[in-house]
Amino acid sequence: MSVTGLALHNFKKSFSNYLSLILSLAFTVMIIYNFQSVIFTDIFDSLQEPNSGYINIIIEVISVVLGFFLFFFVWYSTNVFLTRRKREIGIYVFMGLSNQRIGKLYALETLFIGFAALLLGLGAGILLSQLFQMLLLSLSDISVELHFQLAPESVLITAGIYAAVYLLFLLKGYLNIVRSSVLNMLSANRRNEYVRQNRLLLGGKAVFGVAVLSAGFYLAVKEGGVEIMGNMLSAVVLVIIGVYLLFGGFIPLLFQGVLRQKSVLYRRERTLWVNNVVYRMRKNYRTYAMTCVLMLCSVTALATSFAMKNRYENIVRFRTTYSFQILSGRSDLMERLTGLIGQDNEIVYRTDVELLSLDASLIESNYHYGAFGLVPWSQLVRLAESAGLEPPVREPGEDEVVILGHIVLMSFITDRSNITHTIGGRTFKEIGDTDVPYLGYLQESANYFVVNDKTYEEFKKLGSTSYIYSFGIKNPENFAASKDKLGTFVNEERGRGDYTGCVTIDPHDSEGDWIRVLYSLCIFVFMVFVVASGSILFMKLYNDAFEERDRYAVLCKIGCSGRKLRRAVSRELGCTYALPFIVMTGAAYFSVHALEKLMSTNLLTVYGVSVLIVLAFFVVFYGVSVRLYYKNAGI
Amino acid sequence: MSDKGVQTEKIVEIRNLVKDYGGRGFQTRVLKGIDLTVYSDDFIAIMGPSGSGKTTLLNILSSVDKPTLGDVLLDGQDITRLSNRELSRLRRDKIGFIFQDYNLLDTMSLKDNIALPLTLNGVSGKECSRRVEELAAMFGLREHLEKYPYQLSGGQKQRGAACRALITEPEIIFADEPTGVLDSKSGKDLLDALRRVNDEGKATILMVTHDAYCASYAKDVYILSDGAMKCRITRGGNRKEFYDRIMETQVSMGGDFT
Repeated sequence: MSVTGLALHNFKKSFSNYLSLILSLAFTVMIIYNFQSVIFTDIFDSLQEPNSGYINIIIEVISVVLGFFLFFFVWYSTNVFLTRRKREIGIYVFMGLSNQRIGKLYALETLFIGFAALLLGLGAGILLSQLFQMLLLSLSDISVELHFQLAPESVLITAGIYAAVYLLFLLKGYLNIVRSSVLNMLSANRRNEYVRQNRLLLGGKAVFGVAVLSAGFYLAVKEGGVEIMGNMLSAVVLVIIGVYLLFGGFIPLLFQGVLRQKSVLYRRERTLWVNNVVYRMRKNYRTYAMTCVLMLCSVTALATSFAMKNRYENIVRFRTTYSFQILSGRSDLMERLTGLIGQDNEIVYRTDVELLSLDASLIESNYHYGAFGLVPWSQLVRLAESAGLEPPVREPGEDEVVILGHIVLMSFITDRSNITHTIGGRTFKEIGDTDVPYLGYLQESANYFVVNDKTYEEFKKLGSTSYIYSFGIKNPENFAASKDKLGTFVNEERGRGDYTGCVTIDPHDSEGDWIRVLYSLCIFVFMVFVVASGSILFMKLYNDAFEERDRYAVLCKIGCSGRKLRRAVSRELGCTYALPFIVMTGAAYFSVHALEKLMSTNLLTVYGVSVLIVLAFFVVFYGVSVRLYYKNAGI
Repeated sequence: MSDKGVQTEKIVEIRNLVKDYGGRGFQTRVLKGIDLTVYSDDFIAIMGPSGSGKTTLLNILSSVDKPTLGDVLLDGQDITRLSNRELSRLRRDKIGFIFQDYNLLDTMSLKDNIALPLTLNGVSGKECSRRVEELAAMFGLREHLEKYPYQLSGGQKQRGAACRALITEPEIIFADEPTGVLDSKSGKDLLDALRRVNDEGKATILMVTHDAYCASYAKDVYILSDGAMKCRITRGGNRKEFYDRIMETQVSMGGDFT
């Protein structure tokens, strides 16, 4: 039989053994294809620019992240596969096959697996792409008519990315076999490894890990100004290192401590599973850390998407406080405007406010740019009273200002103490800010400082006095009915030489559609990463089970009942899933808390829900793992 | 077949044990109606040429395999009629095993390996540790308890396996070629230790071996050939003389005893 024939025969014979690997790889291919198909089909073309542009950028970024994930996943899975296959195909050495031919055999078998996974993944991707797009659009609350589309570019790009990564690791495996000694090949999997690790080394790693993790958490939640971006990046790096050290130091130290306490260890089957956890920990701690980081990323991604959606909805609410806003140099337009709008719409509330427009050259501020205006405190109090609200903070002193801010998607400034602004050569200390839409949409388009009335009067000579007339109507959908009349009015005013401008606010502005799509994409990324984390642990355990066969056979011989063995296995596997989950739950609390500050949104519920979702997935993975483990380990 | 006095207790009784292998039409009878009784404090070695059925007999006695016909009574209980759960309990509580290839768990220290059968029985940690220390001292393993199997020599591993077999104070120890992979010094150390525990009345041992030297440590040697017990040699004077008698019997019977 030729090497190709033998490889094909092995592949067919062991197909069920390779199934977990094929399915995991196919799943990754399917996900990449689905994201690519969003770019190369026209589902988002109907959305206005810059929405479709933003969405494509986001999907490309997600594809890069998934590409990295694919890289590590293929690296990891082919490594596990290589170790198993090496021992099996190493037997061919005795049949006179050279390392090169054994390498070729391995490469061909791996190629068949890769090809099967690619076909399966692409097939499933093509079949499910419409479902994926439907879910994406439905979650994004965007209605677009869908039809089945097959974009050849998506197929080619997905296959290209996958093939490049897969072939790289196939070549690596081939070279590994070609360079292996016979003994090495046969004893792969059976190396005599130190089970217990040096306590001092573990202790050092544990202390360093806890310190690094604490520093990461501190930086993540530390309030600050513009340096917060740097803090966040440092926090991410420190938390990743900390998690690795936790699994490489602190947790093994803890379990080795249990091994020493015989009164704790010698409790029925505990001695079995604790010893096995210690043994596995040394080999698998990187895997546990990787899945933990992956889950941490997924929970943070989900929290980000929820926060963005929440902020976006607040932004929309902020912008649509009023349906019409007229900015004019005249102070006597309220009644005329009321009459004009009242012809076609029922006015629910209306406000007018006096303010001072200042030239940007008069202002020096690290945090604000664009157009500037001053609002007297008394006007703000009047606006607040008319809306039934308490005025924000207190009346500013002579050298103090209150900022009329607006809602932003995220702010990197979480510490607003000691901020100063220079207006007309005078320095003002910021004593607070508010994102109540007193000036509605216009509060977003310029920077408004609230000063006390005396200061306002002093600055009057430096700027021009303007008035904003704002109107809220009963049916904001009917805004267009008054639009033309207001347009005519504004043109008439301008014709008379008065500065007048009008803003009409469409409640269905599609400017932020991309945020809604981002939100749904983040949910998918969350799901993908959670499933990926679960499958990595699942695959690891699936393979470990074969290694355990001999041990369990011995245990059966010495009278350990199947029930006890199964109990020990279920606890050991429970630990494998629980440890990354627990560490992730702790770390995610800090990452989500940091996000809460950046995005001024309460994310505690999102955190709780996402942790519960991860838990639910893990419980399912755990259940399946335990069943298959019993089967593979022969108990 | 035993001529023990009334003060000793029957541990194992085998009556007309038959074992066939293969399907209908091409059956091979490996054991052809064996009778054997093992009393407490016996140290029996079963010898025989390759294919004589020693391993099959041991597998049936240790409840790993089932006979085609016959009864195997352990402590008065017919083990051929027990459920899997009852068999597990029997192996755990009444039988100790010493395997040729040690079968220590490489994920555990020697101490944990020895203590394992006791911990599975729910004995307290303190008591487990006490009994492990006691047995380890008897087998010269005290300094090695914290080591893992890969850090031990073959002899140390096999003595560890013997400790594990003895820790639950079973009714009987089954040893399958216990010195098969050991050098002569390690083999002698193990056999000395086994003989000591037997002499002290702490273990009844049934050992399968092809090695006459190993068998000479027993009190009785049974020669199994072609599926039937051919003869029994009982130790009289010293071990050297016993060894010579075993060798003579082997030579007279012929066949491959390796």
